[in-house]
Amino acid sequence: MKQKNTSFIIIALFLAGAFMPLILKQYHLNMLTEIIIFALFAVSYNLLLGYAGLLSFGHAMFFGLGAFMTAVAIIHIPGLALWNAILIGVVTTIIAGFVIGSLLLRHKGAYFALLTLAFNALFYAVATKWHSVTGGDDGLSITRPDLSLGFTSISMASLTHFYYLTLIIVGAAIVFCWYFTHTAMGKTVLLMRENEERMKFLGYNTNISRLLLFTFTGAVAGLAGSFYTLHFQFVSISAISVDMTTAVLLMAFVGGTKTFWGPILGAFVYIILQNYLSNITDRWPLFMGFIFVSMVLFIPGGLSEVIMNIRQRLFGKKDNNGGKSAASEEV
Amino acid sequence: MNEIPVFFLHGLAYAGLLFLVSAGLTLVFGMMNVLNFAHAAMYMLGAYFSYSIMMHFTGQFWLSLLVCPAILFIIGALIERFLLRRVHKFGHVQELLLTFGLAYIITELVKWYWGNYPLAVNIGGFLGSTIQIIGITYPVYRIFIFLCAIFVGTVMALILYKTRLGIILRAAVNDSEMTNTLGVNVPLVFMGVFAFGAALSGFAGVIAGPLLSTFPGMAQEILLDAFVVIVVGGFGSLGGAVVASLLIGQLQSFGVLLFPKLSIALVYLLMAVVLIIKPSGLFGEEQ
Repeated sequence: MKQKNTSFIIIALFLAGAFMPLILKQYHLNMLTEIIIFALFAVSYNLLLGYAGLLSFGHAMFFGLGAFMTAVAIIHIPGLALWNAILIGVVTTIIAGFVIGSLLLRHKGAYFALLTLAFNALFYAVATKWHSVTGGDDGLSITRPDLSLGFTSISMASLTHFYYLTLIIVGAAIVFCWYFTHTAMGKTVLLMRENEERMKFLGYNTNISRLLLFTFTGAVAGLAGSFYTLHFQFVSISAISVDMTTAVLLMAFVGGTKTFWGPILGAFVYIILQNYLSNITDRWPLFMGFIFVSMVLFIPGGLSEVIMNIRQRLFGKKDNNGGKSAASEEV
Repeated sequence: MNEIPVFFLHGLAYAGLLFLVSAGLTLVFGMMNVLNFAHAAMYMLGAYFSYSIMMHFTGQFWLSLLVCPAILFIIGALIERFLLRRVHKFGHVQELLLTFGLAYIITELVKWYWGNYPLAVNIGGFLGSTIQIIGITYPVYRIFIFLCAIFVGTVMALILYKTRLGIILRAAVNDSEMTNTLGVNVPLVFMGVFAFGAALSGFAGVIAGPLLSTFPGMAQEILLDAFVVIVVGGFGSLGGAVVASLLIGQLQSFGVLLFPKLSIALVYLLMAVVLIIKPSGLFGEEQ
């Protein structure tokens, strides 16, 4: 019943997404593309924070690495296919995630948070200093390659075309992340957060599970970064900076880390707030900061907790998860 | 002029500053098990307050060296009492998120009030002059920083290991419930520790002002170096912070001299090596 419900919602969302170019103006379609990309980034972040309980301050290093590798590949390899550009971005982040993960995952809690921040800073420093490859402070400009489907080739110069590509690929990646949380591996991660000792006792190798999860979320963030480059046709060192980690942390947390769909909602809210608040005031990061801190203090479950509470009040539906476990969430 | 002694002294001065920042950080972490991401933001606040004080009362460096830590002490106490204590029951992740959010807000407020550009703090008098030392002319101020670090380090060590207060502190870390039962107001002790850490960061900020320029990015810059110091030295170890500060100060200083392009990466390289060989840091206890 529940599975069916979820599939229905996913299909409905995709269909709604497919009609958006007919309704929205160019400016809003642009924003929607950005939201979808950041939704994937936030979802991957929440697999670490919400599901595994690992607070990382360095998720932007994977996002930025994917973004830069795609840009560098497109610039240096003439006639590179779009798929391969994305693939290069993702494969690099898989390798990076594996190496960094095996170094850092020996540590937990505050140690882990601190070390991820330090590694992110290292990536940022390299990106800033290695001017000949990354363009340093100037960034890199690219043109989106055309999408070749074997029999035909679709021009990616038009935003609508790129929007559809994003909707399908990034949307599918989000669905895959959701699927991941329902696999044995996903459940392992969740149980590990609750009681690692017991999992070890039951014969699970928790270190390997954690490393796989870390690598997986890194790769997903890399995919999001790759699309980020393709979307803006530009990448600068801000993509790999700590500010980017802050942004994804805000999205995930404001949306709610206890549900799968919370970070998607968070990405919506964040990008829309960013667009409108930045028109009104230059001080919008300050507002975001206050929203964030008040949420940490008063609503640790984020917006999704608020929504669940309202739904419960209105329809009297009981949450069967007791507001604790993210696994039994729908969508 | 001989380069090596000059760079050695530069390294010592930076090590002094690093120790002042990381001592507070490692103290709060060791005592309360809270990694304070807002520590460097408070350090920046100290530097900006000092700038404003020295603008209003021209060149009153000693005044700001007294007043800024006091202000930061109060801010720290308020943060611990009304924010940190609230989220303590939710666990470590929540505490980290809170301090991270506070750092973000403080940085934005600083950009708002003082502007997003560097401000120069000039220091006059004897501290602003130079002296002859081991055959070279060297700014007094940098030597002063190093002496401040020695002073603060000695005072902290004396308090921790030679006074009754130190015994209470160490007892509270060891078993806070038992200490509480024995009639010590442990929450008050923790508030004091956090406030002291904040005051120390403010002190370091005032010191840093004339050495480095005062700008909104200064928090993140020193935060990362301070983090490397406590990773290399070992989490929560004061002695480790001393050694690691000296090591990283020299590494930074000679790194700039020998490999100008790689100087940033050298520090992280050291951290990575320490992590691989001894994950708990040079002086850290096994987790």
